[in-house]
Amino acid sequence: MKHLIEYIFGFIIGLGNALFFLGEVLAHIVRGHVRIKEVLKQIYEQGIQSIVIIALTSFATGMVLALQGYLMLERFGAKEYVAHLVALSLVRELSPVFGALIFSGKAGAKMAAELGSMSVNDQVLATRTMGVDPVEFLIVPRMVAAFFVLPILVVLSEVLGIAGGYIVGISEANIPGSFYLNRTLAAVGYVDFFSGFIKTFFFAILIGWVCCYQGFKTRGGSLGVGRFTTRAVAFSYILIVLSNALLTKIILTLWG
Amino acid sequence: MIKVSGLYKAINGQDILQDINLEVEDGEILVILGQSGAGKSVLLQHLMGLRKPDKGNVVISGVDITNLSERDLLRVRKNIGYLFQEGALYDFMDVYENLAFPLEEHTDLNEGQISQRIKNVLQTVGLEGVEGKYPVELSGGMRKRVALARAVILNSKILFCDEPTSGLDPIRSRDISDLIRNLSKQLQCTTVVTSHDVANSFRIADRLALIHEGRLIAVGIQGEIASSKDPFVRQFFKN
Ligand SMILES: Nc1ncnc2c1ncn2[C@@H]1O[C@H](COP(=O)(O)OP(=O)(O)O)[C@@H](O)[C@H]1O
Ligand SMILES: [Mg+2]
Repeated sequence: MKHLIEYIFGFIIGLGNALFFLGEVLAHIVRGHVRIKEVLKQIYEQGIQSIVIIALTSFATGMVLALQGYLMLERFGAKEYVAHLVALSLVRELSPVFGALIFSGKAGAKMAAELGSMSVNDQVLATRTMGVDPVEFLIVPRMVAAFFVLPILVVLSEVLGIAGGYIVGISEANIPGSFYLNRTLAAVGYVDFFSGFIKTFFFAILIGWVCCYQGFKTRGGSLGVGRFTTRAVAFSYILIVLSNALLTKIILTLWG
Repeated sequence: MIKVSGLYKAINGQDILQDINLEVEDGEILVILGQSGAGKSVLLQHLMGLRKPDKGNVVISGVDITNLSERDLLRVRKNIGYLFQEGALYDFMDVYENLAFPLEEHTDLNEGQISQRIKNVLQTVGLEGVEGKYPVELSGGMRKRVALARAVILNSKILFCDEPTSGLDPIRSRDISDLIRNLSKQLQCTTVVTSHDVANSFRIADRLALIHEGRLIAVGIQGEIASSKDPFVRQFFKN
């Protein structure tokens, strides 16, 4: 019982600190303390880091969806609906969620590990001794970059996933190519696209926040860097999956 | 002048600094000697407001920095150079970018002036042609020199050096010690150096202080300290 109380107490304090940290970041952004050059550098690095693995995963996922979907739909004589199935699954759920998970495993881990090793090597402290705010110089650019990079990667993932489905559709299911594409375009409505797309911005903030915060408070040498980085990725995963359930419910309720 | 009065600090319930009183005159070099874990780094961090004391205060050039906000402290710190134990250069920047960083942040120098200034300061610390190298490609001694160059590049009148000789071989330790002394005198810096290295401390210091378990147990010029009656002080200087 005593342990439980201590645990809950520690959790509340930890959450408070993390929220304070997020507040600091937002205050800088609101005041326009955003270093464009650093943001562009981070956009480039985060994008390069994740683009190949997200592209491969999406393409393969699109193919698998089409293969499975075609077998199932054919039993009902509705194989031309495979284009619907692929496009809607990707756009509404799979690309945003898998994209975010992969992004936190690559770019998020990179943020946490870089900031963590800078913390334990006194580079964060050195930033303060040089009269520069480390949150403004090191954190804000990473979080702002993630906010732009993840949504772009997710759209790319949707396009490539649909391409994977298209290839299976025309070669395995013998659906004419132009028909498949028309079906896809007809299937994905405004609401379908944005119900998935909006979530990517939440995920981007979540990943940037969790990974930067864990990196920033890393202590304990190289062991600490390992521990805090793994924790950053694990927290991101859990929060993405849980918040996705919540966000999906909210979006479906509001929007249908 | 730097003036510390009645400074106390506990970390995680453990007393780290107790009743520290200290004055450093303008242009003077003070070396704080002490064994590992004595509280040297923590004391130095208080001198530039990187940590807040539990009690007591720190006055730098007439300004009490104890209760300044982090925003005001950032402004104060522009005028202070700090050499970290391991250098703490940004490892994602090469030497040139590391040295250019404080200049770009706090001066209006153009690119040509920045590059000239970097060349000069590297020459002062005895390095040439390392601008394009990353910190990991430098030896420990070279990294410390670059870090020292970064600490003085804004012509700060105050210089803090945390264990400048730790991790270096005897010859490089002597070189960096002499370099710090010469640089400090040349730039007329008020300088505080921490160290556990007695011989080199005597080379650098105008005045010495000995810290043990978070307390200053002796302060004075070389002769005074070396002839102290205190058993711990005698013990410390024997080996
Ligand atoms: N962030 C910290 N958390 C807990 N203890 C610390 C921290 N920083 C320093 N200490 C403790 O304070 C004491 C003095 O540390 P320090 O000033 O680094 O010693 P040194 O004289 O070797 O520089 C040590 O016992 C150290 O364990
Ligand atoms: Mg130390």
